[in-house]
Parts: sequence; C-alpha cells; structure tokens
Amino acid sequence: MKDEALLKEPFPVVFRRWMTSAGGITILLTIVVAIIAAIDAGPFIIVNTVVTGGMWALLSLGLSLVFGVMNIPNFAHGEFFLIGSLTAYFTFNPLRLYLKENPSPFLSAIAPLLGIFLAFFVGALLGVILEKLIFSPLRKRSRDQWVMNSFLLTVGISVVIINSVQLTWGANFKGIPNYWNVDPLDFLGVNLSVDRLAAFLLAVVTLIVFWYFMRRTQTGRAVRAVAQDETGALMVGINLNYILSLTMALSAGLAAMAGASLLFIFPAYPTAGLKPLYVAWYVVILVGLGNVSAAVVGGFIVALLQTLTSFYVGTGWEDVIPTAVIIIMLIFKPSGLFGSEVKGIQER
Amino acid sequence: MLEVKNLNAGYGFLQVLWDVSLKIEKGEFIALVGPNGAGKSTTLKSIAGLVTPKSGDILFKGEAIGGTPANLTCRMGISFVSESLNLFTNMSIYENLLLGAYTIEDKQEQLDTIDFVFNLFPRLKSRRNQLAGTLSGGERKMLAIARGIMSKPSLLMVDEPSLGLAPKLTLNVFDALETLRQGGMTILLVEQNVNTTLHITDRGYVLEQGQIVLEGPSKELLENDHVKKAFLGI
Repeated sequence: MKDEALLKEPFPVVFRRWMTSAGGITILLTIVVAIIAAIDAGPFIIVNTVVTGGMWALLSLGLSLVFGVMNIPNFAHGEFFLIGSLTAYFTFNPLRLYLKENPSPFLSAIAPLLGIFLAFFVGALLGVILEKLIFSPLRKRSRDQWVMNSFLLTVGISVVIINSVQLTWGANFKGIPNYWNVDPLDFLGVNLSVDRLAAFLLAVVTLIVFWYFMRRTQTGRAVRAVAQDETGALMVGINLNYILSLTMALSAGLAAMAGASLLFIFPAYPTAGLKPLYVAWYVVILVGLGNVSAAVVGGFIVALLQTLTSFYVGTGWEDVIPTAVIIIMLIFKPSGLFGSEVKGIQER
Repeated sequence: MLEVKNLNAGYGFLQVLWDVSLKIEKGEFIALVGPNGAGKSTTLKSIAGLVTPKSGDILFKGEAIGGTPANLTCRMGISFVSESLNLFTNMSIYENLLLGAYTIEDKQEQLDTIDFVFNLFPRLKSRRNQLAGTLSGGERKMLAIARGIMSKPSLLMVDEPSLGLAPKLTLNVFDALETLRQGGMTILLVEQNVNTTLHITDRGYVLEQGQIVLEGPSKELLENDHVKKAFLGI
C-alpha cells in the first residue's frame, strides 16, 4: 500500500524533504547566517539573539495560541507585557530597597523570581477577567463577523489599559538597574549579565513546560482540540468556556512573564507594550497565523534579524528590516513560512 | 431511556422539526430514516445539545435535557457521531481517542477502552500514530465512531455512517455497530440507506418534512407500501 510505504520511509529521505520545505530552508538559513555573523562580528550576536529570542518566543506563542484557539487577533497583547513589567516593578523595587537596608543573600537571589512569577499570575488573572467580562458576552450575543469585532475590542482594551496606567502611575519610566546585582559572567568572550542568562533560562524552562502541557496532558490536548474543531470538542465533553478562559490566561500570563523578566531592559511606562506587540505580530505573520510551535522558531528568527540590523545598519532600523523581510516573504509565501496548519479566517 | 415529546426545533427563523416524538428503550437499535432535508440530523443535534429546541421535551433517563449544552449531555452518557465527523484533524488517531475519553478521569479505564476500540477496528490500531486528517474516508468514519464510544456512552447516535463510503466499507461500519449493540449499547442510527438499515435495526421511525410519518418494527416497515414506494423503489 502506498501510504504504508510512506510511513516506513527512512529518516534521510524525511530529513531531505523537510530541508527543502520553506520551514526547513528558513531554519537552516537562520542558523548559517547566525554562524557567519558570529564569526564576522563576534559571538555576542548569537548570545543576544538567543536571549531576546526566548522572550519573543514566549510573547508570540501566546498571541498565536489565542488566535488559533479563540480566533481573536489580539492587539492588546502588548498590554499584558506592560502589566507584567509593572507587577514585577512594584514587587521587586520595594524588596530591592528593603534588601539594601537588610542584606540577605538568599532573599536577593529569589526576589526577582518572586516578581516574575507574580507577574505571570497577575497577567493570567487579567486574561481571565477580559475573557469573562468582554469576549464571553460578545460570543454569546453574536458570532457574526467575530474576527473583526474581537479585533476592534482588543484595540479598545489596549487604549483603556494604556491610559489607565498613565492616569494611575504617570508617564515616567519605572525601571530597575538589574535584578541580580552580581558581576557579569564571561561567556565565549562576551560579557553576559546574570539577568540575561536568567531570562533565557526562564524562557527555555517555560517553553518546555508549555510543550509538555500541550502535548502530554489531557487539558492541553483539549486546548488543541478546541482550536481544531470546536463542535468536535463540545461533542467529546470539553467545557468550552473553561478552555477559552484557560487559553486567555495562559497567553496573557506568558506575555506578562516576558515583560517581567525583561524589566531590566524595557522599563515599564504606559506605552511600553507597543514594541513587544509589534514584534509578536512580526513573528506570527512571518511563520503563519495560529501555528504555535512555529511561533517559537519565529521568535528566534526575528530576534536574529533585529540583532543583525542593530549591529550592521543601526538601531533605528530595527523595525524596518524585519518588516521589509515580512513584506518580501508574504509576496512569495502568503500563508507564512511554515505553511498553515490553521484554516484561513475566511473559511471558518 | 430516551423520550422525545413534541419536539420543535430549527435554525434561526427556519423551523425544521414539527412535533417530533420518539421513544427509545434500553438496548434497542433504532433507525431514523427519511429523505434529504427531512430533519434527521436536526433531531440528533437537538438531543445531543448542539441545537436548542424551540419547544417540546427531551427526557434522558427521566431527566429533561432539552437545551443542555453538548459537553454536559456527553457527560450524562449521550454520544453523538456527526455527519461531518468533527475529528481533530491535526492530531493522531491515538490522541483523538484519548480526547474521546475526556470525560473519563481514570487512566486505566481510558487505556482499556482504547484496547476495546482497537479490537473493534483493527485498522485503526495499525495506524495509531497517523494524523486523523490524512486518513481515508472509511478510516475517518471508523475513527469518529471509535471516538464516540470512548466516553462509554449509554446512548450512541450515529449520523449517516454510510455517506460517501464504498459498499464494502459501509458493511464494515454496520458490522461494528451490530457488535456494539450485542455488547448492550443503545444505538440511534440515522441513514439514507434505508434497505440495509431496516434489515439490521429493531425498530424504525420515518421522518418526512420534519414530521414522523411512520413508526414500527423494522421488519414491518420494510413491508410497508409507502416505504417500499418512496425509499426502496419497489
């Protein structure tokens, strides 16, 4: 039988086919470019790419998840990032001042983590509140033009949050010099601050936990089931409202966590969420909407593009080059680099 | 076990079902036949909770379930295998089956049911890691039915299992239903393939233009003049 033969294909054949697919070419190309740039400019290119890439991956993962499961193009995603960095600031800063008076090595080692995890829960809570208060009533009322309506709602939510933050805490920058006040490590001749290393490790651990949750637990499977067939999910007894709230909570929580772990680079101020929002959208448009695992790869690709641009061309071009790449890519492959696992919104 | 009384249902302003009543006892194998657009699928969807009835009662094990959402009717023991199957196409057969057992908490019970289902459809076992979206039409039907019985339902409703299948595969599917019924499951089968259906079921209802026009033991329905003329072409 033909398809049984396909199943038993030897690994090299499968690998060669993967390599010649758009996704495979992109990943290989990215790795080659990263290596060449590292040889030319220095290994800090790879270090920087990997550190910011991890956080972009967390952000775009959540954006992609919400689009895939709930069909919401979320333009308030950056505000979850903002809420995360605010939470971390207001948790960590008092602790930092307290530690200056009463030094305690143990507490100063875990204080940042405290802020970051609290940010995850505050973000997740905000996600649930938004789902219950805004999206759920709209869903009950009408599902016509859902994508457009929910898009407009998210833009509105974004404006409301930005202005409430400005009203409450003012427009000044709320940042911290660093999370862990220790000397930077020497890594491949690059000065790598502990903060950056921690941000990267945190991203990796979170991605692994998230992957395990989605692939190996019944609840994670249910989330994917809702993304693939909502009626089918109902028919096997999945509580749709629970899964939708959970998805929103996860997405918002991951974004808030990214905001919190990057507080030492991106201080919190009312419009701090806009740049991360744009980056997350670059990523999901580049790899294809709703494709969650590809969003992780895309996070690193966009991070590399940005690092290269700021080194070779100039920091001011950081948004220009990725956008140009996306425009060129869309001309040749409109469904995104990694094809589309998800149907177009028009087909739903 | 299931009793539908004067059910009126439809979509928006369009009413499809007019005073439909039917009754199913435990262990029965019931056929619901009728031409295209008669409202067979709507009847099943109303029972499953995917369509909210306008009026009328649906009693399942003595409880009124009209308008209960589908995820709750599934927990109560009603399993619905829809015409469009609603499989999770980007997941493997195995994952689809695991999700079918979503309402069952016990891990061991899930695995036992999967074994049972694989015995019923050995073809699925050999392809357990293949994505549901890459299966052939017959395999998809088998998977949908298999997923439907993963929740260990007391009532299984199957919508048009023969649609788009080669005659030989249709027989496979019907054989599987027969096996399930011998295992004591109550089955409500909707079909356009009237002849075969009435041969394997106990009792039947004939639905035309949203109304039950005939009901009785399947053998008698096969002899009925109206059924012969309208469906069997004799």
